[in-house]
Amino acid sequence: MSKRVLLHVGTPKTGTSYLQDVLFRNKRVLTSAGILYPADRFDAHFLAALDLMRLPWGGLEAEAVGAWDRLAEQVRRHDGTAIISHEILATASRAQAGRALASLGHGDGTEVHLVVSARDLVRQIPAEWQENVKHRAGLSFRAFLDQIRDPERSTRIATWFWGVQELPDILNRWGHELPPEQIHVVTVPPAGGPQQLLWKRFSIAFGLDGLDLDLQAERANPSLGVPETALVRRINRAANHDLGPSDYRPLVRELLAHQTLSRRTRSPRLALPPDLHPWVAEVTGSWTAEIEQRGYDVVGDLADLAGAPPVAASMADYADPDAPDETEVAAAGVDAIKALLLEGARLRHSEERLRQELHDAQMALERAYLRPTYRWREKTYRRLTSSRAGRGLLKVYRRVRGRSSRTA
Amino acid sequence: MTAMHAAGATGTAADVAGSWVEHLRAGGTTPWRSWRESHPAGPAPVPPVVPGAQQLELLRRCNLAGPVPAPLATRVLEASAPGRGRPDLQLEGAAERLAFGPPPVDPADLPDDELIRVAAGLLAEDVVADGLPDPHHVPGARWFRTRYRVTGDPLLAAAARRDLTRRGRPPGGRGAVVLVLGADLGQLLADVWTDRCLADGAPAWSDWVDRLARRGPLPPRADLAHTAASWAARVGRDRVHVVLDPAAAPRLVGVRRALATPTPLSADATELSRRVGQVLGLLAVPPARADLLEHTLRPRLAAVGGAPLTLPARHQRWARLRAVRVQKALLRAGYPVHGDPDRLLPVLRDGVEQPDDAGVLQLAMRLLLEKRSE
Repeated sequence: MSKRVLLHVGTPKTGTSYLQDVLFRNKRVLTSAGILYPADRFDAHFLAALDLMRLPWGGLEAEAVGAWDRLAEQVRRHDGTAIISHEILATASRAQAGRALASLGHGDGTEVHLVVSARDLVRQIPAEWQENVKHRAGLSFRAFLDQIRDPERSTRIATWFWGVQELPDILNRWGHELPPEQIHVVTVPPAGGPQQLLWKRFSIAFGLDGLDLDLQAERANPSLGVPETALVRRINRAANHDLGPSDYRPLVRELLAHQTLSRRTRSPRLALPPDLHPWVAEVTGSWTAEIEQRGYDVVGDLADLAGAPPVAASMADYADPDAPDETEVAAAGVDAIKALLLEGARLRHSEERLRQELHDAQMALERAYLRPTYRWREKTYRRLTSSRAGRGLLKVYRRVRGRSSRTA
Repeated sequence: MTAMHAAGATGTAADVAGSWVEHLRAGGTTPWRSWRESHPAGPAPVPPVVPGAQQLELLRRCNLAGPVPAPLATRVLEASAPGRGRPDLQLEGAAERLAFGPPPVDPADLPDDELIRVAAGLLAEDVVADGLPDPHHVPGARWFRTRYRVTGDPLLAAAARRDLTRRGRPPGGRGAVVLVLGADLGQLLADVWTDRCLADGAPAWSDWVDRLARRGPLPPRADLAHTAASWAARVGRDRVHVVLDPAAAPRLVGVRRALATPTPLSADATELSRRVGQVLGLLAVPPARADLLEHTLRPRLAAVGGAPLTLPARHQRWARLRAVRVQKALLRAGYPVHGDPDRLLPVLRDGVEQPDDAGVLQLAMRLLLEKRSE
């Protein structure tokens, strides 16, 4: 039975990939310190989260059957501290959270700590829209903003956004059975601060201070600028009907977005429209007041959640992804075409090589067929299969030979 | 899942919600609005911890449909709606309106779709708990039998395959003739969609057919010319038979009796199987999921009956153009065609153009309540 479980439930875009990567790559060091990170890959808890929340995910859910129970069992078997981390857990319902806590030993002697990392909405809102675009969405930024601002929150976009971003509600759903001192809110520092500050905060929340961990980042979820996101959105609108998810993932999300367009760092960055800053300030103010009142352990500073003031003084100066600079989009388009050409050339070479290998194999086979013994055996086989007696004889032969090389 | 407030003397809104939950647990059917009006709240509402509005309304509807045993009532109240959609919602007027969280609702205002989400999750659990029925005894393959394969309309083909296997005539073997079983294109499309619902999942019927009609070409499984051509490339054109008249099939596979046809499913039943299948995807691995849908859920759905699915009138013209193209391709290729080639053309059938959420919900509740008596 675990003595202590640290359950990190998000939120997305708060350095979670980095955290999970560090935990995964340092599993041995953690184990020697009595800390279990039960994962066979850096984002292994994703499948467990899908299973817990019964969340379909483009077919991946088939691999998730029973994943939460397996994870919980590993945690329960471990005698020490265990860490579970995945950002989509933020959207779990109260019942699912209750089931998760119970399966980890809460109420049965295990001390479960909830960790929630949070970043200001000024950065989270554009980041969430960009994630939608990188997952095939074709809706404009303004349409996205209208949906999340609708008080009814009845659309799929709004439901998901608030499900994974609304900090006090997440803490309500996950933390209602836990004492406030076992709930840790880690705030993401403002952009431009010391590079290791976020890790330092995670380290404090997870009790990893003093461990010699390799913090070299191998995983990151790179972001795109305004023209690049506008380009991907246009590609989605043009190609979604014809490009299946299994091809979209490697070609658009990985090749174009992550490997090509994210390298264009000089283009204007996505930002919240200046006219929405007052609304965000109001929402965030109510959240921080609520969190302060509840007495959770805050690692960092709740003032970080206020976000930076708008870069553009007015809407006229704002880099609107719905009306991007077409010259910049065209330049991003050229980079995208170049990347696709290079990928096309690579695949052509690969195809050519495979064709050559196939040809060589066929030639070798043909040479084998030309041997007199093969021709004789083939003739005999044809004769035997043309009569019932012959077929019976073949059957006896196969049985005696003891191999199951039956005719297809 | 939650601690619920029992009805108390204080008369706060939380207590009213708690008393309504107890009322529903006891089989009550009073809507929340009426309950609130007849049990006025006190002046200082506190947030109660009660089940979501979706779960409460589903239990109320189940109570309307028939007596709900206590274990099922508990399951409904403790369920979470699976998949994406609105989170568990609070009751309007039962809790203080916070500055965050989804707005509370009157459960009566919830769309049926939200209740179906909860019900589908419960049904999926039932299906997994029921498991697969005992397998039928399958006789050994007859030594002398006509070798065949059946393809084409997936429901017709699966029914024929099962029937012949039970008669000691499994498909396959050397020199097999290939029977491409066809139906009018409207029926064929409905059958392909139904088959996907019962196998690896499908989008909603309207979304699917609308997209097909917008894009133009038929999906490969509904394109009999494509099916026949791919088999002809493997076994030769002379061994491929297009069967449009069911009476012709027995002779081609060497039997006398007519081949079994699939048990029809109503539009609502097919939609429910689709919704349950989505959840089953997280409770069973793909082959087991398909088997559970086909052998455990489908017989229960088929027993209910109801109006079948038909191609929407708005797509009849597109379907006719596509069917004519398939017809010409089959005739041009020279396959033996058994039956009138005009049977490929879409016809107007009795049925409904799309499943109805109210009907799907009724059916889901019926199955949930049926489970109780087993």
